Parts: sequence; structure tokens; C-alpha cells
Amino acid sequence: MSLQVEDAVVDLTTEKRRSPTRTRLWGALLAPPAIWMVVFFISSIAIVVLLSFGHVNDVGKAVFGFSLDNYKALADPVYLKVLLRSAMFAIATTVISLVLGYPVAYTIALHGGKYKNALVAFLVIPFFASYLIRMYAWSTLLADEGVVNQLIRDTGLSDGIRFLNTPGAVVAGLVYGSIVFMVLPIYASLERMDTALIEAGKDLYHSPLQTFFAVTVPATRAGMLGGVLLVFLPALGDFVAAQLLGGPSTYMIGNLIQQQFFEGHNQPLGSALTVVLMLALLVFMVFYLRATQRANRET
Amino acid sequence: MTEPRFSMNRRDFLRGSFGVGAAAALAACGFSGDSATPSTSTGASSTAPMAQAKVDGDLVYYNWADYCDPTVLSGFKEKYGVNIVEANYDGYAGMLAKIQAGNAYDVALPGARYVELMRKQGLIQKIDKSQFKNADQLFGWGSYFDNPWYDPNSDYSTPFSMWTTGIAYRKDKVTTATGTWQDLWNEQAKGHIYVLDEDDEALGMAALKLGLDVNTANADDLAKIKDVLISQKPYLRAYSTDDINNLASGNAWIHHAWSGDFLNFINNTATDPENWVYELPTEGSPLNSDAWVIPANAPHPGTALLWLDWIMQPDNVVKNINYIAYPLLTKSGPDTYAKMAANYPSLQVDVSQVINPTVYKNHDATDQAARNAVWTEVKAA
Repeated sequence: MSLQVEDAVVDLTTEKRRSPTRTRLWGALLAPPAIWMVVFFISSIAIVVLLSFGHVNDVGKAVFGFSLDNYKALADPVYLKVLLRSAMFAIATTVISLVLGYPVAYTIALHGGKYKNALVAFLVIPFFASYLIRMYAWSTLLADEGVVNQLIRDTGLSDGIRFLNTPGAVVAGLVYGSIVFMVLPIYASLERMDTALIEAGKDLYHSPLQTFFAVTVPATRAGMLGGVLLVFLPALGDFVAAQLLGGPSTYMIGNLIQQQFFEGHNQPLGSALTVVLMLALLVFMVFYLRATQRANRET
Repeated sequence: MTEPRFSMNRRDFLRGSFGVGAAAALAACGFSGDSATPSTSTGASSTAPMAQAKVDGDLVYYNWADYCDPTVLSGFKEKYGVNIVEANYDGYAGMLAKIQAGNAYDVALPGARYVELMRKQGLIQKIDKSQFKNADQLFGWGSYFDNPWYDPNSDYSTPFSMWTTGIAYRKDKVTTATGTWQDLWNEQAKGHIYVLDEDDEALGMAALKLGLDVNTANADDLAKIKDVLISQKPYLRAYSTDDINNLASGNAWIHHAWSGDFLNFINNTATDPENWVYELPTEGSPLNSDAWVIPANAPHPGTALLWLDWIMQPDNVVKNINYIAYPLLTKSGPDTYAKMAANYPSLQVDVSQVINPTVYKNHDATDQAARNAVWTEVKAA
């Protein structure tokens, strides 16, 4: 990250020396993505921020305004409760994804040999199908009278297990939905790592486990941090897993926002919730940037 | 030295983009102004000439998933040589949000209270009933829907179906049903009970159990409703409107359910129909209806009128009743349905009940917010 910042500084200082035609070309190339971002990203965020100060009129239409009422309403402990629950689910999802994802990335990167790329491709293939469809598939497979429970009953192990509509099901769904975002960055950093370092660790009489924690883990910290971010942030705002796999007490912040927009007829309150969630995510983002900067400085 | 034209640095560029974005958002946004009617207002559409029933493009169709016989859809395509672009919603509030956001559909099917809401917001257009060949099927034979509560003279909508909300349960698992709303707190089925994931339905159910008005927004009433609903959570498997699938998957032993969905499940999905009961709790049960509308911004209102006419044609009414298992509100619709549901007295719905105290009504902003807050707290608890 720090390297990129330095590049940018170099860019700006050399810019004056470039010919006008060349900078104009770059400017023109920048225009389409800039317009795209303005139209679809910045303006929608601006609407959400503005609407969070608005209210709903008597026929149920959201209108702009300048009141803090929506933010005051968020002081209700019920919102804090949902936010904490979402954070717990997201943390559990991230930890499980890391513990399950790291060995997968490690095996592919260091022992995949010529099948490396094929293995990565296999990992990604399920993600060709929509997240929503895959969640539906889970709810069908794991239903009380679904395929999995039928198998369990046939083997006589148990009378059937209630998988669905539990907090565990929500976290399992989130892990399934996002684990690939943990595996890929770790895989990339393991790929880049010089395997001679591991041999050096062993030469210095470290056991394989000691070597792993003293050499491999620090060398892949940037990848892990990237994976943690890519898994944690979307998991915190997710609503599909809780909606399709959750029970009566697994409501997440994403469900709450969705409810305000689509059910509660209260888009301004939903917007205020969104703004608060974005600010919370921003805190993690800043933490991530600082952590990766440190990681880069150390390597 | 002359500066090149694109000499702005990254920061200027980002700042500029953000400014333009914010300005564009404000300009393009329909949320400004406190007026109840936006520019495509009811006033404008009532003075403007109404649409003529002739093909003016493909039909952009917005409905519940699977809430129309596919052969009725394909028949329309064949007869008029148009395509049907289908979109679906899973709840009225979501449908309203999409239309409010400016998405353009030719026809949509809101519930009664949403018809009123959309009419007041100027989101739907007036319908010239003289354009319908089959108008006599819906109107003018003494039907209640000549002048329903949600839309005077049915000026902006054509009625479609009606239903009750009750309780479905399976006899092999539940032997202690009491025939009251207390059955959604049944000990035998603890952890296998579903409540409809809809604010009106959940609050209405609790209100009826407590002997209150389903539309109450009174603070004391709402506090009681909240407590009752929270006391129910340990019994619940989940909140869901996907009643047919929850019954079919075996996850639900008791389901807060819509009458039509229950009959649809019995007729089309259930492997053991005799095992299932639909009860109308003795404290009273909600009875509601829906109606087709043409949004004010419909790109093809002519084709939309042809569609409304098409689905009130008697043969299509019969097909639809057989497929969706809801009584349709034409002259012959309720009888056709009554024969189909003959074995289930609890599934009978009488049009006269459409005017009843358990119809969901609209609220002003304060009351709606109070009801919304209760539902949010229940869901979040």
C-alpha cells in the first residue's frame, strides 16, 4: 500500500513534464469510469445520506428534510442489540473462514503442483451461481424432510437434525458464501512467498509447526488481512443468509435496513441505519489500511 | 508554462466527481417537496386522455411469482402477438418501493390498502372501463367492487382475488389444536411454528388474539401486541411468507397461512392432503383482497388495458382459479372457487365479508411509524 502511495507522488510530480496530448488521453480514458462511479455509486450514497435527514409524509412517501429524528430513533437499544448480533455473526464467519480457508489456500499454493490453477478454478466455479440461489439450495438440502435428513434417518444414526433456522445455519451460510474471498488473497500471498524461507526456518531447527507460525503466517499477513476484510465487511451487512436460513431470533442489521426500505415504509430511517453501518465499516476499513501499511513496511 | 487542460490532480478529480454526484442525486431525486402528489399526479392523469385498449408494446408485468396460470399468460402473448416481460415481488411494501423508485411496469397487483396508497401518491392511472369487453364480469351486477373502500368507483383498479388469513397445521404432529390464535403458541409444535413475515399479518394476528382492532395504533394496544409477539418467539421456527414451501419441506407443523396458498398446497404439492387442516380462529381472522392497477408511468398502458380485460374473460378466470386456488372477484369466480374448495368449509370466502373490521387499512405517518417500530422490535428481539 505504501508503495502505491509513493508511485502516486511520483506521478503527480512528473505530470507537469508530460505532453498535453498524453495527459488529455489519460483524462479521456478516466472519463467513462468516473461517470460510472458518479452516476451509480456517489449519487446513490449521496441520496442515502440526504434521505437519512428526511421523513415520511402522510401518504407514506419519503421526503427530504433537515431533521436528526432518524438518528435519535437509533438510540433505541433494540438497534444496538441487532448491531452486536450482526457483529458476532460476522466475527464468527471471519474466524471460521480463516481457519477453514487457510489450509485450503496452503495446500493449493504449496502442494498443488501443475493442478494449482485448476484447483483455484474449481473453488470459484460454485460462485458462478447467484448467492441467493445457493442459499435456497441449502435451505432445500437441509430441510427437516430434505435430502440430508433423509440420509441421516436412513443410516439410523438419528431421528433427523434440525439444521435450519438457527444462528449456526446463518453463520454456516455466511461462511459458505464468502470463504472463497478468504482463500484467494491468502493463496496469492502464499504464491508470492519465497519457499526458501520455510526451508531456512527448518534449518534453524524449528519444528514444522514453529516454522509455520514464525515464518509462513507473518509472510502471509497481508493476504490474511485482505481476506478478513473481504469476508467480514460483507458478512456484517448481509441479510440473505439470515432471511433464508435464520430463525426468529437471528435478525441482522442488513435485515433491519431491508425491512425499513421494503416493509416499514420508512426509507429515511433505513438510510440513517445505512449511514451508521457505513461509518462502522469505515472504522474497520481504516484499521485495515493502517494494518496493511504496517505489514508492508515490515516486509 | 501553460497548464495542460487535464492538469487536475487526483484529489481535485475526486472532489469534483463527488460534487457532481451529489448534485445529480439531488436533481434526479423524487424525494424533494412535501406534496402528496408528484409530477405524474392524479390531477394530471385525470385531465389527460385515458389510455385506449390497443397494443402499444410488450406487456411489462409485475406480480407475485406463480400468481397466474401460465396458459393465461401464453394465451395473451398469442392472441395479441406481444411478449410478456415478467417481474415478481415477495411483498406489497417491496412492490410499492420499486414503483416509487420510478421502475416502470404496465400492470401490477397491489393489496387493497396499497391500491389506496398508490392512488393517493399519484402512482397509478385512471382506467376507462368502457374499454373492456368483459367489464360486465367485474362490475355492474351489484358487485361490492363497483365502489370498494380503497378506490371509489374502482376508478383506478380492477379487483382480482380475496383470501383469509388463518392457521394451517398437520394432524399427525398436532393433536391439541384449540381453534384459536393460541395455536400459534402450541407446545407440541414448539420450534416448528411459522408466522407470516408481514407487519400487518403479524400485528393483526396478535391484535385478534388480544381482542383488539387489527389496525390499532394506540400506544397501550401496541405495547400489549409487542409483548404477545415476543412471548411467541420461543415457539417459532421463523417468520416467513413462503408458506407453501415451508409446509412442503416438512419444516412447518403449524403455519400462519393464507387460505389460497393452503388450498394451492393441498391441491398441487401435498403428498397427504387429508393430514392437513386450515382453521379460522374463533377470535376472528383477517380477510383481504387485491386489485390490478396500471402505474402512472406505464410504458404501454394500451397493452395493459388489454391484459386487464383478458384476465376477466370467463374462461381465463376459471383457469386462474384452478391454478392459484384463490377466489377471483368476477360474477362467476366465487362460485367456481366454492366448488373447488367444497371439502374445506374453513376455506370458503364470501364477498360480503370484504367489508369487515379485519381489513388492513392505511395509517398516517405517526401511526405507521409506531406500528413499524413494534414490528421492528419484535423481529430484532
